[in-house]
Amino acid sequence: MAEKVLVAMSGGVDSSVALIKIIEQGFDPIGVTMKLWDYGDVGGNIVSETNCCSIESINTAKLVCDRMGFPHYTLDFTGVFKETVVDNFTSEYLAGRTPNPCVRCNSFVKWDAFIHQADQLGATYISTGHYAQIEKINGDYSLLKGVDPLKDQAYVLWGIPKETLSRTLLPLGGLYKSEVREIARKHNLESAETPESMEICFVADDNYKRFLAEYSPEEISNINEGEIVDESGKTLGKHSGFTDYTIGQRKGLGLSFPEPRYVKEIDSDNNKIVVGKKNSLFADSCIVSNTNWLIENPPFENEIECQIRYNSKSVKCKIFIENEATSVQFNEPQLAVTPGQSIVFYDNNKVLGGGIIEKH
Amino acid sequence: MNRIYCDIAATTPIDSKVLELMVHTQEYIFGNPSSVHIFGQEAKAVVERARIQVAESLNCNSSEIIFTSGGSESNNIVLQNTLNAGDHFITSSYEHPSILKTASHLGSKGIEVTLVLPSSDGSIDKNSVYDACKSNTKLISIMGVNNELGTLNPIKEIGEFCASNNILFHSDVVQMFGKTPLNISEFNIDFLSFAGHKIYGPKGIGVLFIRKGVTLPPLIFGGGQENNLRAGTENVDAIAGFGLASEIATSNLDDNIEHLTQIENCFLNSLQKNDVDFMLNGKNRVPGICNLTFFGISGQTLLLNLDMQGIAISFGSACSSGSVKASQTLLEIGMSEEDALNTVRISFGKPHTFEDCEKVAITIANQVKKLKNTSISHG
Repeated sequence: MAEKVLVAMSGGVDSSVALIKIIEQGFDPIGVTMKLWDYGDVGGNIVSETNCCSIESINTAKLVCDRMGFPHYTLDFTGVFKETVVDNFTSEYLAGRTPNPCVRCNSFVKWDAFIHQADQLGATYISTGHYAQIEKINGDYSLLKGVDPLKDQAYVLWGIPKETLSRTLLPLGGLYKSEVREIARKHNLESAETPESMEICFVADDNYKRFLAEYSPEEISNINEGEIVDESGKTLGKHSGFTDYTIGQRKGLGLSFPEPRYVKEIDSDNNKIVVGKKNSLFADSCIVSNTNWLIENPPFENEIECQIRYNSKSVKCKIFIENEATSVQFNEPQLAVTPGQSIVFYDNNKVLGGGIIEKH
Repeated sequence: MNRIYCDIAATTPIDSKVLELMVHTQEYIFGNPSSVHIFGQEAKAVVERARIQVAESLNCNSSEIIFTSGGSESNNIVLQNTLNAGDHFITSSYEHPSILKTASHLGSKGIEVTLVLPSSDGSIDKNSVYDACKSNTKLISIMGVNNELGTLNPIKEIGEFCASNNILFHSDVVQMFGKTPLNISEFNIDFLSFAGHKIYGPKGIGVLFIRKGVTLPPLIFGGGQENNLRAGTENVDAIAGFGLASEIATSNLDDNIEHLTQIENCFLNSLQKNDVDFMLNGKNRVPGICNLTFFGISGQTLLLNLDMQGIAISFGSACSSGSVKASQTLLEIGMSEEDALNTVRISFGKPHTFEDCEKVAITIANQVKKLKNTSISHG
């Protein structure tokens, strides 16, 4: 009997085509839409096909599974999603950091809760429509970037437990997005023309300030206006509340200098925004926490590559352990190294691991 | 794969004779019942014959039967058309959403609503209903049989109480009709709601019984159909199907009850024989609706695994958004949240054989063992 695969289906084109590839590979798929969030709870409900977890996208996933002749279930993961992703998203902003919720969702919801669900349903594998690849060499599994450089999503997968790689199928990793759409059209899939979703799924209107104010009204109302200061501590202006700013931001500071000033640091403890000239935002190193390795031996002190934000280029670096902390030394200084963001380590297209940027 | 459908309480498959009649009606009786010509006359006759069939199945007058789109509509008509601001309304906390959501809507319009909780045996204590009454109580609505537990409620006694206290009484008997005798002449009930698709008839058709002498304003204005209460050209083939389905349901009632009792006993005995650790919830039930707690086994996981083996059961309250919450009904009868999440509903009906229920029991037993092992290996 064919092995069962739990396919995570958002109702979008990518996960629908993942289902088709899984069928083509001879597996016995079970389509599952993970219900992660109730938009009714914290507003921002833009009813559109890009809005994952909406009734429309759940129905689209159902239609695709029905067309292909396989079962579909909607399973509730709202509890674990709220605890591990949304609460963290809010507390990170309240601490003056810039979180990456997709990374946590993959680590704690998709590659933990979902794998557990696979066990419960007798499924050997889980599968998603992420653009990344899994390579098996001599019984060892590695995570590789997707072949489509514009769609590669390996960056958001650094936190998944290594032991789950052997149970993971990523059938889109070898495809370009255009090929994926073509496959969807060829099969007349209901999801073939669904638009790209780029925003954070639970902040459907892409307005994180509105979200924070609705989700944590008390905490946000306690965040007052404060001072914008320069690196020496001299007051330059006023800020509207530190959660409104991100590292590297230039616009909207209300400052007027011949040479532009950028947000260099968000000091949540003292309610201050520190600004500086562009060259002051470069850092040659950073401290990394919560590291997760997808290889047997972490490549300490070797020259490798790293990526400090989604969609930025990889740069050369070395990793050291100093006083039990992991520190990363960039070969060239990097602009706006942002606490809370993920740093992901590569050897060419292989993901070695990653962590969370603490400070530089 | 051989499928076994054990979710009769959600909806029934259609009776073959009912289907045959509906296909014939759809094909040949296409006239508008309001038309004067022979096509209209034939259609009108189909509708009125069905009305008589339904009336006979309840032992009431055919003028007391209104065809609606289903149980939800019937419930809405009664609540929305009898209650006004300042009135007091009593219902139970475990009614169908078409009662509870309407009640909360009416609550926002100045109608006072009291929800009576079920007792631990799964039924509504008549005294708790009486105790909730006030001088302005206008309407009481208590379901005949609870959809999740299959438990019977004392609607005869509550009806008598209402009659002697000049309170209108409505009962949603969607789960009761065809499972226990319901001779309306022996009940003091003003309104009854029930639906075709729970009695081996079609979906999208229901009935509202309105006792003679009780008047309601129209819900849908238009051409005056259904005694001016609900305008719109009649759904002739569904009405025909409903009429026959209600006749079949009541004319063989004793046999149906006997069959359901035997099937249920066979199923429960078979579970015991296969060493399954379970609890049957609710006392004083109609046969065929089994609300079962399998300790330590997630109801949702059990449902999904059985579905993939061709056996359809139900867990929690079906919801379009797919959210899974512990059934409010089970929590209200005193069950812990964990036990409620480990509880499923398995409902049997006319099509089931002893072979079916044994196969279902054995499949459940195997699945429960498998899931116990999975959860052990996860610590």
